[in-house]
Amino acid sequence: MSALTVSHWLVGLPVLAALATLALRRTPHLAALVAVLASLASVVLATIGLFVAPTRFQGIIQVREPVQVGGIEMPFELGAGPATAAVAAVVALVAAAVLVFTRWYLEDDDRLAQFAATVSLFTAAMMLVVHARDLVLTLIGWEVMGWCSYLLIGHWSRKESARRAAYKAFIVTRVADIGFVLGIVGLVAGAGSTGLDAVIDAWSGPDTPATPAVRSALLALVVIGVLGKSAQFPFQDWLPDAMEGPTPASALIHAATMVAAGTVVLAQLFPVLVHADGARWLLGIATAVTMVGAAALALGQSDLKRLLAWSTVSQVAIMLSALATATEEIGPDPALFHMWSHAVFKSLLFLTIGWLSVVAGSTLAVALRGAGNVHQLARVAWLFGLLALAGAPFVVGGLSKEHVLVTAYEGAIGSGGPGVIVLAALLVTVVLTAAYAMRAHLVVTAPLERAEPSAAGDDHPSGMPSDAVLAALAVLTVLTVVGGLILITGLFDIHRASQWWMLLTLLLISIGAGVSWLARSSGDPRDAFVRTRRHRALADRGLGFDTAYRRLIADPVLGLARVVAFLDREVVDGYVRGAAASAGIAGWFAERGHRREAPSAGVGLVALGLIVAAGTAVLTWR
Amino acid sequence: MALIAMLVVPGAVGLWLMTGGRALDVATARVIALVAAVVGGAAAVVASAQRPVIDRAWIPDLGVRWHFEIDGISAPLVALTAVIGVLVVAHAWAEQPWLDASGGERGSAATYLGALLLVVTGAFAAFSARDAVLFFIAFEVVLVPMWVLIGRYGDPHSEAKRADASARFILYTAIGSTLMLVGILLLVWQAGTADFAELPAAAADLSLGQQTLIATLLTLGLAVKVPVFPLHTWLPAAHTTAPTAGSVLLAAVLLKLGTYGLVRLPLANVPDGFSRIAPVLAIAGVIGILWGGLICLVERDLKRLIAFSSVAHMGFVVLALASGTETGVQAALIGNIAHGVISALLFVIVGGLKHRWGSVDLAIVRPALREVSPRLGFALILGLAAGLGLPGLAGFWGEFVALVAPWNPAQHTGILRTCAVIAAVGAALAAAYSLRVARIVWVGDEVSADAPHRAADTRGLELAVVAVLGAAVVAIGVAPVIVWSVTADAVSALVGGAP
Repeated sequence: MSALTVSHWLVGLPVLAALATLALRRTPHLAALVAVLASLASVVLATIGLFVAPTRFQGIIQVREPVQVGGIEMPFELGAGPATAAVAAVVALVAAAVLVFTRWYLEDDDRLAQFAATVSLFTAAMMLVVHARDLVLTLIGWEVMGWCSYLLIGHWSRKESARRAAYKAFIVTRVADIGFVLGIVGLVAGAGSTGLDAVIDAWSGPDTPATPAVRSALLALVVIGVLGKSAQFPFQDWLPDAMEGPTPASALIHAATMVAAGTVVLAQLFPVLVHADGARWLLGIATAVTMVGAAALALGQSDLKRLLAWSTVSQVAIMLSALATATEEIGPDPALFHMWSHAVFKSLLFLTIGWLSVVAGSTLAVALRGAGNVHQLARVAWLFGLLALAGAPFVVGGLSKEHVLVTAYEGAIGSGGPGVIVLAALLVTVVLTAAYAMRAHLVVTAPLERAEPSAAGDDHPSGMPSDAVLAALAVLTVLTVVGGLILITGLFDIHRASQWWMLLTLLLISIGAGVSWLARSSGDPRDAFVRTRRHRALADRGLGFDTAYRRLIADPVLGLARVVAFLDREVVDGYVRGAAASAGIAGWFAERGHRREAPSAGVGLVALGLIVAAGTAVLTWR
Repeated sequence: MALIAMLVVPGAVGLWLMTGGRALDVATARVIALVAAVVGGAAAVVASAQRPVIDRAWIPDLGVRWHFEIDGISAPLVALTAVIGVLVVAHAWAEQPWLDASGGERGSAATYLGALLLVVTGAFAAFSARDAVLFFIAFEVVLVPMWVLIGRYGDPHSEAKRADASARFILYTAIGSTLMLVGILLLVWQAGTADFAELPAAAADLSLGQQTLIATLLTLGLAVKVPVFPLHTWLPAAHTTAPTAGSVLLAAVLLKLGTYGLVRLPLANVPDGFSRIAPVLAIAGVIGILWGGLICLVERDLKRLIAFSSVAHMGFVVLALASGTETGVQAALIGNIAHGVISALLFVIVGGLKHRWGSVDLAIVRPALREVSPRLGFALILGLAAGLGLPGLAGFWGEFVALVAPWNPAQHTGILRTCAVIAAVGAALAAAYSLRVARIVWVGDEVSADAPHRAADTRGLELAVVAVLGAAVVAIGVAPVIVWSVTADAVSALVGGAP
């Protein structure tokens, strides 16, 4: 089976699974089972893909006659490459774990089948983005993902908060996509083709279709779209609200799709991005602000699920920052590697907290206190997930974060990009991340003071997940520990990192974790950092960005809309009504004139006719 | 033969139903009309595939000929009309506009069905006419039955609204038609022929001033029909009042006549004049996109909202045409077809809702469709997703290529690129208003089984109509090549043939 066949199947299979699942919606459990089986088949396929993946510089794409739309060529090609195969594998794995978990978590939900179908479609869209060698295909996958996230976040549509969160997520990302679409439109129009290779050839060479400033502007537009989808500053606020969705949806959105897709797209466009300094500065500064701010907010959350959400924002900023600072020799692979490892450990963390929340009945830190004692696996999974999140050496997250640090350092000394700022932000973020990871650990594994876990088990007969879920969690835990071995396969093109970086991060992590450890006396370490009730509320509301969106964007647009509606009714349509009214008045006069029917009027008309006839005769007299 | 059948069968049956068969009972009239629509539609599809020609002299003095032929540009539109024609007649089983609000008879069912068939016939004739004067006549034939549909069979709740909407429709479009007629006569008189095949070459010798004048007249006249901002105000009134089938015909067939006319007349025959007024057209189109989108954010009547979203969507089509390139025309044609299918779907659903609820005021809280009628809800969300330009559904291709085309236009690069940027902002507005509707109508709190105002789910022929339109939305979205492969050669001949 060639790598190309694998990539076609990886895109096609989830689509078919989504259709089948939707068709079987009347028997939800069977439908979910079909979705799970298809996702397991995808995992097998993706594993085959790892073995048949082409080696570096040997990316293969299909050759077929492109569709010609006027002057624009649309080849609609899929491709395969080494890093692509690795990313596809982790997407397939996470999707399968999420579906397995969903079958247990949403067992009694009347829309289980619709949920499973949407997850499958979501996976297909992400696979399309990963394998696309055509910017239109990228855009299709990108937008379909946005739509699926709308459906998943709003899954519990009987709750107003879920409806609002879904609306907000779609609108915020769609507004940012104005930039994404325009950037792609500009690149495509300049290259005369939507094919990725044609676009890269046209725009990365010395003779671009337009000035370098235009290239930078177009890439900056693409970057804006990526910032929106990846929940980066200033678009970050939709993601914590998206926690209204069921936890498996969060695991999927955060770990392997949606927010991570921006990294994949920019990695594909990297040969152009590296020449677009303006876009790199934009990306670098936005991610630097985001990673520090989101990490600080994570520390202050009263809800642990929202803590994880903010940690995603921060981690995605880290992977994107690697793209902003990487030099041409380093390439995009450090970013993709961090995306890979983040997918593994973040899905583990989300699925674990989904389980714990079923046990505790809530995701609030207060309620989750000591919930980890329910099962040994929960404790281990939570511990290793957090270790990877904090970037401890040797676990998967630690390795990849170190490579990002090295990339930023090389960028800072090697080229003029935003490397220095990003490097400084990264170092601060490492400390903060360690602090909130430690906090999350302390809260969940606190010794129980109240009821015994067995009593909790009686309250929640479904508190114990099925064996399949436990197996999925175990697989993810093992991968979190040993996933770094993927570097041996050479699928990611990554240089060695020096030991000194490891020592430095270890030092920073112990500072951050130590501070949290010292603050544990008050119960939740957060209380030592965020002391007043007002500040806690502010942190929970994400510094009030929601209000800012409403005041600065939504309200003015709605105000303008009211003005336009008024103008349309009273001015534009006013002329029309005026014309109709004057026609009516003229008709009324004519009717009155006729009604009189007096002989004098008739004589008058005949006289008028004679005058006209005579006038015509005179004028045409030759 | 197919061409004759396509024009004669629905035309003759429609005329007979409106005159001799007026007293026919409902059941018979419906069957006869459906048979006529199916035969005419089948003939139209055959004719689109075989491309036969009818060519007879008609008014030799003017050089006007009785010349019908389907080419690549009109074939998808003829097919669209054929499908929509069958669907609107079939929809007469689901909704009976000849009954008044209380269920009493207020008009003849046969007349209603005849009017539907005549609109379809007129559209077939307009799309297949290869002669400028013939095109104009066919274009006008559509208006009267449409006026009957709006004025006699419109919203049963308000007679004043019906009178206003139908009068506005007929007067507005008649003024547009008059301008277009002057333009056509000027063109035909100057060029000395009315045949579309010979016109471009014959009109090439005209001076730039004459070209601009003719292009302005033609574009103005057709812009009313499209409609282009600020000539759009007849549309929301007509849509709100018309019966569901009338709205569908209006959106899917009549508006298409406007854009088709823009391609066929000014763009093909007086390209230099057209490119001089193109920036104005582009700006009007872009204002329409924003204008329609903004109004949709606050509009309370769902039918008016869909009508304003039509204004926004046609803005994309007009923008693509204004670029004057092959890519632009391709974008406009697929955008045209896509809008026809999507808005037809939405109007069938919203018309159905109005039928069930009595009004479609968004300010009234009603049980969510997702809870009480999942099939109708699914169709609605599909239509809304397509309307906001979701890839994989029909709306995406027209919008995306309509943004690409003005990036490298034939002329006026600066203005058109700015327009493309603003149009992209308008696309985000589409998301905002589509999901606003979804949030109000589709999703909502849990509904108890005995709640009032539960909308019955769609079934029977209404379900069939919705399913066909939904399938078309997906098919065009997944494989836009179906349309592009048909239009490609004709478009390159049309645009490439220009000097």
